[in-house]
Amino acid sequence: MEPLSSFFAVSVILLGIGIYGLTTKRNAIRILFSVELIYNAANLNLIAFARLRNPPIVTGQVLVLFTIALAAMEAAVGLSIIILVSRLNAEIDLSKLSKLKG
Amino acid sequence: MTDLLFLAFAAVTIGAAILAIEARDLVYGAAALGIAFLGVAGLFFLLDAAYVGWFQIAVYIGAVVVLILFTVMLVGPKMGEAPLGLKRVSLLAAILVSLLLGMTGALANATAFPGKDSCGSGCDLYLLSTSLLKNYGVQLEFMSLVMAAAVIGALALSKTDRGP
Repeated sequence: MEPLSSFFAVSVILLGIGIYGLTTKRNAIRILFSVELIYNAANLNLIAFARLRNPPIVTGQVLVLFTIALAAMEAAVGLSIIILVSRLNAEIDLSKLSKLKG
Repeated sequence: MTDLLFLAFAAVTIGAAILAIEARDLVYGAAALGIAFLGVAGLFFLLDAAYVGWFQIAVYIGAVVVLILFTVMLVGPKMGEAPLGLKRVSLLAAILVSLLLGMTGALANATAFPGKDSCGSGCDLYLLSTSLLKNYGVQLEFMSLVMAAAVIGALALSKTDRGP
């Protein structure tokens, strides 16, 4: 079994990639990708930390189940907003959008 | 064996995450995002969280990636750049994905749910489901409420009669 710190390392790298995408990209769908990557980093962290106790506890896994469900809902609402914005403004470049009024 | 699997899953996850952010075509990006989710699911399997791994595969790859692909199609090719052409890259990606799927499946077979007779009170899935329903029942119900609200909100947002 790998030491848990390597899982934390993967989680931190995923978080870093997500933050990089959030800060450098302007396409709304790409920013949603970054948010999902950050969600995954957090989930990995939770699962790994749940393993830290001896005996391992399942609370971390329950929390991750909730997080995955919430992330799916967030993606659904965010993508519907993106579709609406693309229909109203004919582009989804976030640097060119200045209003979210329907 | 586990070290090798960890290295493979970590490398695939990180590489696919970078590709998801950096790929020029959004469709490629969505596919790479799916591969990254698959790698994270493999890491969950390695951490003995088999049920969460399957949940991740079902919800993320089955729902979120498909939703993203539909959105890319609906938003139109003017925002997603070039049309897809079958190149050597896609062949490589197909090989990679099938390899990853095979590894995930083998690992899930090896470490996932034990048989019905061996699933006693110490079983991980048993513990998980008991904790989910006994200690977090109220939260579970609230989660369904939030999900209903999110679906209705998404429907209300998409249904507009105002054109561009």
